[in-house]
Amino acid sequence: MRDIIKMVVVLTLIGAVSGLILSVVYNATKEPIEYQTIKFVKEPAVKKVLTGYDNDPVADRKTIAVGTDEKGNPREITVFPAKKAGDTFAVAVEGKGKGFHGLIGVMVGVREDGTILDVGITSHSETPGVGSKVEESSFTDQFKSLKAKAPVKVDAISGATYSSKGVTAAVEQAIGYVNSFRKEIF
Amino acid sequence: MSLRSEFTKGLWETIPPFRLVLGLCPTLAVTTSGINGIGMGLATTFVLVFSNIFVSLLRRYIPSQVRIASFIVIIASFVVIVELVMQAYFFALFKVLGIFIPLIVVNCIILGRAEAFASKNGPILSTADGLGIGIGFTMSLFVLGSIREFLGSGTLLGLPVLWSSYEPFAFMLKPPGAFVALGILLALINLISRLQSARGGS
Repeated sequence: MRDIIKMVVVLTLIGAVSGLILSVVYNATKEPIEYQTIKFVKEPAVKKVLTGYDNDPVADRKTIAVGTDEKGNPREITVFPAKKAGDTFAVAVEGKGKGFHGLIGVMVGVREDGTILDVGITSHSETPGVGSKVEESSFTDQFKSLKAKAPVKVDAISGATYSSKGVTAAVEQAIGYVNSFRKEIF
Repeated sequence: MSLRSEFTKGLWETIPPFRLVLGLCPTLAVTTSGINGIGMGLATTFVLVFSNIFVSLLRRYIPSQVRIASFIVIIASFVVIVELVMQAYFFALFKVLGIFIPLIVVNCIILGRAEAFASKNGPILSTADGLGIGIGFTMSLFVLGSIREFLGSGTLLGLPVLWSSYEPFAFMLKPPGAFVALGILLALINLISRLQSARGGS
């Protein structure tokens, strides 16, 4: 009996102390991890869709509250402003759209005058070789200089209609954010 | 059993993974370049040293029936610490090593040292043991990674060292190449020790 109690106590103590240490480490590394993720995952896309800026869009990023989701939790988007001489002239926003397999994330660069600079796919799980063609510049280049206003119309890739629609939906969502939060962004 | 011999045994006599032939999963999977080998080796060394210290400190309090569970909790905690810190400060390396960082938990070398050494010896000897084995593991991964990188992509530590028309031997970067490189290294090490013992005997 004594043995069993000792076993339980020792294992519980080891578990509890480990948990405590890990929660401290987690909190200490939370911010750097967030920054690194944005830097390595989002920055390449941001750099692709914005040009001619002299600031660091990732360092100058802003978060904007955009209402709540289905469960009532507050939702936020991150916008990456491109500035020249301190003046925001364009912004990169990520939108999501439903593709053939789950959500497609698209970074969209929008100029202040309401035209699209460029778009870049940040994440997708479309079929390799079919739906994944939406990543190619022959498809994404179609969005360049279009009016940043829904509906956005481009030629879908044959055989990958759903994926193409997903990208378009993501672009429209991103544009929607820019249009409804112009004041906060520019 | 001196401190020195506990440290140096990990560097040649029982150098992992060649002598122990444990921990082969990360060895084969991540050694596609020298730098990946070093990263994986250092992460393993950190976990190995600290889990050895804590297992050794707690060895009198841990009932033998739950020792494996306790060791694993201790090891897993340090692995998560390594994972979080690496993600926060060495993201590029984290992305390459990926799933193999959490898999350090089940690296037999670490549990093996905790069970075979740290649970029977004091914290200072255990630190020496962990450091020796860890550095030995790092060296092995670095050598293996460098060989594969040299043949497979014609670079060393990311710098091109071969002539530009060199056709990379891409097979070496694939999993079968890992087995081939590991096998040749193992054979070489056995050959060297055989020559050594032959000379010692005559």
